[in-house]
Amino acid sequence: MKKHIYKLLFFALIIGAVSSCQIEEYSDLNGPEVDAFAENLTRGDLQDLIGGILFSSRERLGTYFDDCGVIGREYWRFSGSDPRFTTDLLGGDNSVLDNNTFYITGPWASRYRSVKNANLILGFLDGQDVSGQFTAAEVNATRGFLKTIMAYELLLNLNLTYDNGIRVDVADENNLGPFVGRAEALSAIRAMLADGATDLSTGGGNFPFILSSGFAGFNTPGTFLQVNKAIAARVAAYQGDNAGILNLLGDSFLDLSGGSMDTGVYYTFSEDANDIVNPLFISVGGSSAAQARVVQPSFITDAEAGDTRLEKTVQLAAPLTLDDLTGDYIVFRYTDNDVPIPMIRNEELVLLYAEGNVSTNSSEAVNAINTVRAAAGLGPYTGATDPASLINEILNQRRYSLFAEGHRWIDMRRFNKLGELPLDRPEDDVWSQFPIPLTENQ
Amino acid sequence: MKQNNFYHRILLFFLFVFPCLVFGQNTITGTVNSESGDSLPFVNVIEKGTSNGTTTDIDGNFSIDVSSVPVTLIFSSLGMETIEQSVSGSPVNVTMAESAQALSEVVVTGLATSIKRANSANAVASISAEELVGTTPPPTLDGALYGKFAGAIVNQNSGAPGGGISIKLRGVTSLQGNTQPLYIIDGVYVDNSSIAAGLNAVSAAAAGGNSASLLQDNASNRIADINPDDIETLDVLKGASAAAIYGSRAAAGVVIITTKRGRAGETKFRFNQSTGWVEALNLLGVRDYNEQRVRDSFGDDAVADFIAARNQGRLVDYEEEIYGRKGFISITNFSMSGGNSDTKYYASFGHNNEDGIVNNTGYKKTSLRLNLDHRPKDFLKLSFSTNYVHSSSDRGFFNNDNSGTTIGIALTSTRPWDQLFPDANGVYPDHPNNSSNPLQTRDLVRNNESVNRIIMGGTATLDVFNWENSSLELILRGGLDFYGQQSRAIFPKELQFQKLTNGGLNGVSIQGDTQNKNYNLSAFLVHNFNTNNDINFRTQAGLTREFFDQNTELITASGLVASETNVDQAANTGVNQTRFLQQDSGFFVQEEVNFQDKVIATLGVRGDKSSNNGDANEIFYYPKGSLAVNLHEMGFWNDSSKWSQFKVRAAYGESGNFPPRGGLFTSYNAASTDGLLGISISTIRGDGNLKSERQKELEFGADLGFFDGRLQLSGTYYIKTIEDLILRAALEPSTGFSTQIVNAGEMENRGIELSLYATPVMTDDFQWDLSVNWFKNESEITRLDVEPFNIGAFGATLGTYRIEEGRSATQLVGIGPNPDESGFQVHGDAEPDFQMAMTNNLSYKNVDLSFLWQWKNGGDNVNLTALLTDLNGTSADYDTIDLDPAGQLGNGPYRLSQLGSSAEVFVEDASYLRLREVGLYYNLPDKFLDGILGGAIDGVRIGFSGTNLINIFDYNSYDPEVSNFGGNTPFTGIEVTPFPSSKRYLFNFTANF
Repeated sequence: MKKHIYKLLFFALIIGAVSSCQIEEYSDLNGPEVDAFAENLTRGDLQDLIGGILFSSRERLGTYFDDCGVIGREYWRFSGSDPRFTTDLLGGDNSVLDNNTFYITGPWASRYRSVKNANLILGFLDGQDVSGQFTAAEVNATRGFLKTIMAYELLLNLNLTYDNGIRVDVADENNLGPFVGRAEALSAIRAMLADGATDLSTGGGNFPFILSSGFAGFNTPGTFLQVNKAIAARVAAYQGDNAGILNLLGDSFLDLSGGSMDTGVYYTFSEDANDIVNPLFISVGGSSAAQARVVQPSFITDAEAGDTRLEKTVQLAAPLTLDDLTGDYIVFRYTDNDVPIPMIRNEELVLLYAEGNVSTNSSEAVNAINTVRAAAGLGPYTGATDPASLINEILNQRRYSLFAEGHRWIDMRRFNKLGELPLDRPEDDVWSQFPIPLTENQ
Repeated sequence: MKQNNFYHRILLFFLFVFPCLVFGQNTITGTVNSESGDSLPFVNVIEKGTSNGTTTDIDGNFSIDVSSVPVTLIFSSLGMETIEQSVSGSPVNVTMAESAQALSEVVVTGLATSIKRANSANAVASISAEELVGTTPPPTLDGALYGKFAGAIVNQNSGAPGGGISIKLRGVTSLQGNTQPLYIIDGVYVDNSSIAAGLNAVSAAAAGGNSASLLQDNASNRIADINPDDIETLDVLKGASAAAIYGSRAAAGVVIITTKRGRAGETKFRFNQSTGWVEALNLLGVRDYNEQRVRDSFGDDAVADFIAARNQGRLVDYEEEIYGRKGFISITNFSMSGGNSDTKYYASFGHNNEDGIVNNTGYKKTSLRLNLDHRPKDFLKLSFSTNYVHSSSDRGFFNNDNSGTTIGIALTSTRPWDQLFPDANGVYPDHPNNSSNPLQTRDLVRNNESVNRIIMGGTATLDVFNWENSSLELILRGGLDFYGQQSRAIFPKELQFQKLTNGGLNGVSIQGDTQNKNYNLSAFLVHNFNTNNDINFRTQAGLTREFFDQNTELITASGLVASETNVDQAANTGVNQTRFLQQDSGFFVQEEVNFQDKVIATLGVRGDKSSNNGDANEIFYYPKGSLAVNLHEMGFWNDSSKWSQFKVRAAYGESGNFPPRGGLFTSYNAASTDGLLGISISTIRGDGNLKSERQKELEFGADLGFFDGRLQLSGTYYIKTIEDLILRAALEPSTGFSTQIVNAGEMENRGIELSLYATPVMTDDFQWDLSVNWFKNESEITRLDVEPFNIGAFGATLGTYRIEEGRSATQLVGIGPNPDESGFQVHGDAEPDFQMAMTNNLSYKNVDLSFLWQWKNGGDNVNLTALLTDLNGTSADYDTIDLDPAGQLGNGPYRLSQLGSSAEVFVEDASYLRLREVGLYYNLPDKFLDGILGGAIDGVRIGFSGTNLINIFDYNSYDPEVSNFGGNTPFTGIEVTPFPSSKRYLFNFTANF
């Protein structure tokens, strides 16, 4: 019995020793935790958080543009490392678009990550008294900026899934809103832009943060409002709302004078190791069957003589072949690792302006078309001016003006002309939309 | 005082010896003691070369008449190392050490104690030095474990020199947590991290260039630093039932390593040199090109190139060019041990210098060890171990990429007529068909990991009291594992894919620096109490504290100045720092009751808390209990029975597995946009309330022995349940996160392990020992609280793992013509149907032959190497027709035709049968040695050995053993152009003196 008593004593001693042995708790040692901003958001924090959106809005952008460019038959993406660019995306043989493969999951998740980054900031602004740090106008300006970016990011996802729709209400990660169809999603995006426009118009003279050089000229609430309107005009076009296009373009940075086709906002890139390089740039020397964006040959052959926009391509010394696809021009829209990619720019606005006028004011539409043609070194448009013909001409100009900017597929789709896109191999298909990613559990 | 004694002894010795010699008296007397000073009865004492012999009496004394002096006497006894001693006269005092074999008769059950194997309730595998390295010297410690015991799946992730091996004990233990066993060397918790070198910045393997997935960097694991030659025994606690006492870190099993220690007696030296070469295990070959095939695959222009090259005899087998090298291997080990009854030491030096099969790859390791034991007082014993290791491995640039830059990927698009060799000025041409020239990459890229490591441990054992039927020991133990690892990956600007004109980054230098410091402290009390009717109670209790601190800084510099590689001599630099801190604290108590070796019962509990839990100061309890019944001790059989052992056993235990690093937090990552810094939300949502996984394991078994142990059978069945399974489950990406870390499921592993040991033949001249083990494991996700999800590979088009309730945890699914309700078709399972290994040791007179066959039956891989070569029209079997059920298409076109419609063709059976180890040795007879160096040489052994000399598999690539995503994941077996595996040939020389 005595033995047992002192065994028990040992046991007690040990329990005592252990419970007195406090373990230190650590927070995340390798990055700021979300919770840290919920209680105390400073001006410096806001700058970092906005910088995060600029970053995330560019993640997997290359895949987005390749999706649009390849399915829209602007170019083929040759990759020795991943066959699915030339199989699934082109519908080669029996292949179809998969709902759990990088071409949809990558860009989809990245756009929603940007939306999350924005929603978190909106939550931080709503959840605490920030009057010590920011003026009311600055808060409005920030909200307007965030809503505009969110609407734009949602639009890019809707461009991929089209009739399959998107989730619009994703502010509460534990209680996501439903998937809504294309029309409803476009309305919601346009409403979000309008909401953002209201915020921006009461946003005072300056944002409480600085933006990257891609926003040069549009980095105040007032000027950024023009970008908001331009994006809304694009949405109106997608809705088929011609009056809306013209109305919104009026408040945008549309410039019909023809001198500044490139005015707009851009994704910017750099070779800084924490940054992203332009994902659409592959040098001429670096292009091979294992790694290239090869121009779909009809882009060259369909072009009018003297179209300077063919400078967006470069002819190689020898053709490249992969998977029964052969071409000798590569995409050279972006000529270096740090060349910006447009989010929206004046050339598109001019053509949107033309589109808005097609059925109501065809001469104004032709004028706008001619502005774009002149900038490309082409003579004035001489074809028929009925709406169908003008739309064809506008689509043609958009094909060359907005080459490798992610429009061709979407444009042909909205005018039900996907069947007119060229098929390169007998078994190929032109897809109209991507499936909703598997992990959305739809 | 001591010296006086010594001279006295010498004097006495001569006083005795002299008359003996003079008078030719040929009776020799003496005593035999154990190292601990106890007298040893029943020791055989034989006059060498004769049948003349005797045994020691109950007090260890003997007396033997010999024909002449000096004479060599051989002392042997069960469980002791046999000693040969030259004797000139009486009295002779001999100290015998316990043999290594005898040590393996003991298995570890507590943190501070062990138990006779015969009494163990668990199927603990013990591997002796002889089993580990006796057949052939392995490149790394973990590489020596193949087939050595039941229940372990050992998998080499790639053939790159310097390690990269994963060990999984009893199936999949965790999906997101640690799956690698805990390694404890002489009481020190040893780190086994794999630290990525940041190659993703160039390979873009995890597309987007984000460093989130560093798994594909093919890093080595740090247990490779341990010199296998230093190991005395290695005990493997395979699951929670045996390892519960290690608590929250033990779910994946525990490997307890004991290194060699000195023995009292004359100083012993051992020198071992192994020299040989390594060569590719299996090369794929070149497609059988002809003009039509070239035209079909590459167009008319290529035909002209092909014909020109063929006519000039310029067709090059680039696979042979790159992987065809024989790499030189040299392994040197030297050890010295000895001491007296108070102080003993073991010192060793080991040096490996191994070239890889690819130029500029290789592995160098230097290891120094000093183990010291000292007994300053009868009641106090101190043991120290110190190990310094320097290792350096050049691992080349392999595995998956998305930039066409790794050597493996580049080879897939290389055709025999491509001219890739440098010109007379050493300028490499650009690859006409790929973004990198693999010869240039091989020759100019450096990818080196170097490690400086010190592992130190100390134990003090204090006999607090030692009474007639009770004793108390206090054991204090401390250990330190400290290392610095540097990684240097240099991509010079001359490389095709680094040239600015080709859109490159103008040179990249990626330098990583990791400081790792683990230390652990513990204190145990062990109380033994024997009753008068031979019941032993052993009580132990202890406290443990562990501290882990790892800091990695990774600098990626691009745009290098001139040919500088310093990271400041660059246009752009990015820095990444990752810190990890953890503190654990625990206690345990355990009670063992041994009733006359008939019934042995154990009960214990471990309590643990850790900073890696949501609540750092919450204690988690891990109980254990076991029962072994030795029926052969019950008196059912008499001594002459054929049955020598019949034990039935059952054991239950629980253990934990921490959430993955960072799993407790939802955080932002820093990144910049055109010079503007920002923070963007991580793709992974953490959970501050995350719990550790809890494993509950129940095992039953029986051990049978016949004919005095010449035939032993052992069988074990286990059920291992993992509760609170931590999943990195897919989250709807519209939340902004891709995955969340949650406790959301339950998994079960069931398995059978059978082993057989036999000595079918044992004569004076010839002995044959045979050991066979067979095991199988099946896993099932028994509960899943989140939606089923795909994980661990490249998507359903190519075949992927899928976690789904009611299914195997390692099922491989994909798109296919006959999908089930999930929309996918099951194409295979990575889990083998069974594994089996057979070891034979044959010795005839002075010749020993050992060989180990290992058979893995079943288990599938996802082979994307074949697909990548198909896409480039370069597969060796492109035109062979044996896959297409219609018999129409060649294998290449057939596989391509399946792309997008079925993943079946990419999921391949990865069964293999290998001659894992073989060794043939000749022990020089004593008569050759007698005259050399005055007979100082005790033994010389020479021989030839090899690893993986025969490999039989159908798998359509270099080796079915592969893992693109490294080792610490259950999702191995995904192949993307790995570094090919190799076979080793070695000539060995060992001398003991």
